[in-house]
Amino acid sequence: MKLEDFGTFVIFTAVYAAGSLGLPKLHLLAYQLTVGEMAAPFVAIFGMPAVFGLTLGQFIANLGFEVAPVAMLSPAVSFVGLVIIYYLRKTSAIGGCIVYILLTSLWITFLLPQISNVSTSYAAESAFLEQTLAVMIGYVGYLIAKRTMANPNVPSKSH
Amino acid sequence: MGTAAEPSHEVEIPEYYEHSFWPVLIAAATGVAMTGIFLLLKGLVLYAGILMTLSFVAVIAIFLYSDTKNWSAALSKFGRIPRDTVIGGFPVDISLTIQIIIMTELLLFGGAFAMYFAIRLRMGVWPPLGTPILSDTIARVQTLILISSSILVEWAIYKLKQGNQKAFRAGLIGTTILGAMFPILQFGFEWPHLLLENILTPSTNFFGATFFLLTGIHGVHVVVGVLAFTYTDIRALMGQYSPKNHGFVEATSTYWHFVHIIWLFLFALMWQGSRLLI
Repeated sequence: MKLEDFGTFVIFTAVYAAGSLGLPKLHLLAYQLTVGEMAAPFVAIFGMPAVFGLTLGQFIANLGFEVAPVAMLSPAVSFVGLVIIYYLRKTSAIGGCIVYILLTSLWITFLLPQISNVSTSYAAESAFLEQTLAVMIGYVGYLIAKRTMANPNVPSKSH
Repeated sequence: MGTAAEPSHEVEIPEYYEHSFWPVLIAAATGVAMTGIFLLLKGLVLYAGILMTLSFVAVIAIFLYSDTKNWSAALSKFGRIPRDTVIGGFPVDISLTIQIIIMTELLLFGGAFAMYFAIRLRMGVWPPLGTPILSDTIARVQTLILISSSILVEWAIYKLKQGNQKAFRAGLIGTTILGAMFPILQFGFEWPHLLLENILTPSTNFFGATFFLLTGIHGVHVVVGVLAFTYTDIRALMGQYSPKNHGFVEATSTYWHFVHIIWLFLFALMWQGSRLLI
């Protein structure tokens, strides 16, 4: 990661951390959507700085919630999912997003019953639907951004 | 007609070494200023303390003046846009400089956060009993300010790389204005509210002490960032940055992003953390 990418890294960290800590969760069809999860598909545009940024953002957000020590492993799971989105960005961004949804949903299904009094079936249903809704909203945003973003081929600085 | 052996397209930039006495002088002035502040805080030899502290300010002012060459000439042309001109641009790559600065800042904040966690681990209950639940309204606004300013400065740099000086300057000045709102909210509203109404003070308990220490150190860094951006703005208005020469802008923005990321940790630990009991 180049020093020039530091800004992208920090902005994605902030989007996840502040989106989770500072904003109320969005309610859609009785499900709670994490704003930070919507940023995951943008990894296909912004690359590894976004991957590291979202992972650190999730770590910071978990520091604020402090649900359980095991929850601190969540950023590692997300990191793997985000890297998959990054590597599938040229072949199939939607494919990467689906893998991300499945991976993170499985993790939440394992995690939720351990840290709260919910059944595994409820955890699986809510995790899968919440992750799918959040990431798909983000994917629509990604498609719009991809079409509207100008060509980033600009001269690089020498000093 | 083309030639068989055309030169490489890569332009080789000759290395440029400038032997400068400024690093040594500024380091010495910093030492003198620290001694002066110590004398002031201890109430010893007040005049000497004030003079020693002011000498640092004078050295920095002279450095900035001499660094930004042709101030008077450039100011007389204020408002005109000298395209792709470099007046007093940094002749050397300063990315290493900012990396060293960020590393030292990491050590500072790493030490401060280590202190916070060391205290926290020794406490049975955190935050300690009697700690008020802090309203996070101002902190949320400050978070929004920092996110907006980080995005705005990146946009400004992007516009500069495209050669759009007008948008670059607007973005840079916007970033400075947003940045200035942060310490105004912190030192002008939140701290007076907490301290004067006796809601939370450094002597309330360990949480209060760490809260004011960490947010205070961070706040000072934000003020330094705003000053750096103000200086960057002045140079931008003088047309000193071009698509190929904007190292100082990159360095300032990198520092700003770093300050931003520290804030996210503080927001999670201090405001959200004040709502938790472990």
